[in-house]
Amino acid sequence: MSASHIVFDNVSKFYGEVLGVNRVDLKIPPGITSLVGPNGSGKTTLMNLMTGLVHPNSGVIQVRGISPYAPEKLMKFMGYATQYDSGPRGATGFDFVSTGLLLHGFPKADAERRAWQAIERVGLTAAAKRKVAGYSKGMRQRIRLAQSIAHDPEVLILDEPLNGLDPLVRAETIALFRDYGAAGRHVILSSHVLQEVDVFSDQVILIANGMIVAEGQIKSVREEIHEHPSQYLLHCKDASRVASLLFAESHISEIKLAPEGQGLLVMTRNRDAFSAALERISLSGIDIDGVIPTDENVDALYEYLIGGGR
Amino acid sequence: MNPGQQIWTIAKLELTRVFFSKRSFWVYLLAIFPSVIFLGHALEAHVNKARWGARSTVSAESLNRVQSGMTDEQVIEMLGKPVNDNIRKSRPRRKRDEDPQAEKQPDVRRYMMYFDGKRRVDLRFEDGKLVSRNTRDLLNFEEDRKVYAGMFQFFYLRLGIFFGCLGIFINLFRGEMLDKSLHFWFLAPVKREVLLLGKYLAGLIAASLIFCGGAMASFLSMVLPQDASEVQAFWGSIGPEHAFWYLAAAMLGCVGYGSIFLASGLLLRNPIVPAIVMLLWESINGFLPDAMQKLSVLHYVQSLCPVPVPLPSDMPALLKMLLAPAPPSSVPLAVLGLLALTAMILFVAAQAARRLEINYGTE
Repeated sequence: MSASHIVFDNVSKFYGEVLGVNRVDLKIPPGITSLVGPNGSGKTTLMNLMTGLVHPNSGVIQVRGISPYAPEKLMKFMGYATQYDSGPRGATGFDFVSTGLLLHGFPKADAERRAWQAIERVGLTAAAKRKVAGYSKGMRQRIRLAQSIAHDPEVLILDEPLNGLDPLVRAETIALFRDYGAAGRHVILSSHVLQEVDVFSDQVILIANGMIVAEGQIKSVREEIHEHPSQYLLHCKDASRVASLLFAESHISEIKLAPEGQGLLVMTRNRDAFSAALERISLSGIDIDGVIPTDENVDALYEYLIGGGR
Repeated sequence: MNPGQQIWTIAKLELTRVFFSKRSFWVYLLAIFPSVIFLGHALEAHVNKARWGARSTVSAESLNRVQSGMTDEQVIEMLGKPVNDNIRKSRPRRKRDEDPQAEKQPDVRRYMMYFDGKRRVDLRFEDGKLVSRNTRDLLNFEEDRKVYAGMFQFFYLRLGIFFGCLGIFINLFRGEMLDKSLHFWFLAPVKREVLLLGKYLAGLIAASLIFCGGAMASFLSMVLPQDASEVQAFWGSIGPEHAFWYLAAAMLGCVGYGSIFLASGLLLRNPIVPAIVMLLWESINGFLPDAMQKLSVLHYVQSLCPVPVPLPSDMPALLKMLLAPAPPSSVPLAVLGLLALTAMILFVAAQAARRLEINYGTE
């Protein structure tokens, strides 16, 4: 199993006296995984640890069975778009990408072909021969992305990859992540844009103060949070009737009329009992047009588990 | 791609940056400084030869006939008009043993300079009599070779190559840390040891080209302006050997100091610290026990220098102690010793590279 996963086994990292991450145990399967947490929570440290840019003080990390202490093996199948803006001094965008490919051992012609392909994929062809130092923030973001995907890695790690991208490129980038995820590759990214993360992530890792608060698929993480009632939006014509029936259920903690008469916003402490209650109401002849969970998303998980400070 | 190819790829990628780094541009000044000095010396000799030769030239035999006690008029009669003639009179005064009533007389000193095409002879007359003569060659090959040897050992090796390698090698890792671009290399599929050797090779190629080039340029600047027959004789005998060993010493200096400063850039943040420590260590090398002397780059490279430099007897004792080289090692021992020392330092540097983390925030 570990040969196809990224595994953190009781990993701690301190920068002198400052905590990076503490006693992290993770087993990240292929697919799109989002690291979510406030600034300074340890997201970048986790990424730097799995790419070998920093080393743990204790614990063991394996990326698809390879230690980050062996970059000659690891980097063959890993691409990392870091948060660091700088590249080799005086390099053009094209140099930045093709140089990395030469270090991968691609022949020059092949490296140049792949570099152009990757640059085209991030929409930077016109600016490829300009110096990276003169790029805007968004362009730097894209050229880093191009460099990280140019060798077609199995594990793609991206630190805030959607920052500074215009909507079109953002949509294309997300499509790229989905392609990678669907192909059984690892895509691990950190982001503050929680709504987007919610849309494309297969699983999330919530981190705060260097500790993993929750990990897994969003729905299963939500199910583990018992102290916050689950929220559902019920679309129904006879809202007051449904509300009165639901109030009779002991697991219902709160019911509100949804704005603009859309239905009811219901809070329950027992999802299974709530399902059974809805079934009974439907069978009694009252139409319920739709049930939508409103807090099975990263935004809600973040709010419940980490709180403010985003 | 095998490690050898990776090392060469990294070295090629790094070379441009090393050669044209603004941070180490002053290295070129260190390398060309001796050439400038010797070229200046040769140019001065050339200009003087043309200028004095145009005014008047006397034969060497005639010059040799000039003796102390001759009057200025006799000398002019024998040699003709001098190239330079300068008469200085002091304020009139009475000499100590003269009659106090006697009229005050000025001291008259006359300086004349003759030129025989190769040598200048300065004659000093007091009260019309020749009191001293000073003969100097316009270019003295023997003397210039000693000057070159002194310049090479005391400036080029101890300061030029030393600080040049400091500028080049310490920036290979530390400079990238400051530029926040080292992660680019760490994210390549290469072992840290291979990365270290690739960067070292880039630094070594650059430093060797700069400093071997500088050594050869200054050597040729010293040799070529000399008398053609002497130059021909030199190249037909010991010249090529001298040139080779100066090149070898410069190259091995880059090999040794390069490894030290590469390791320093990995282990320490402030380059001033290793520079001062190394400079002190190299300076006191002559006092150290035999075994400790082997842990010095200067000891080995000075052993390869073809011309020993005699220290002047009137040199201050402390300076003499610092400049006097330790007894030299044999050539094979010097070369092998330096290479072994370098390998040891690179091994330590490789261990540091393996542990190195990207943490730009603390730089």
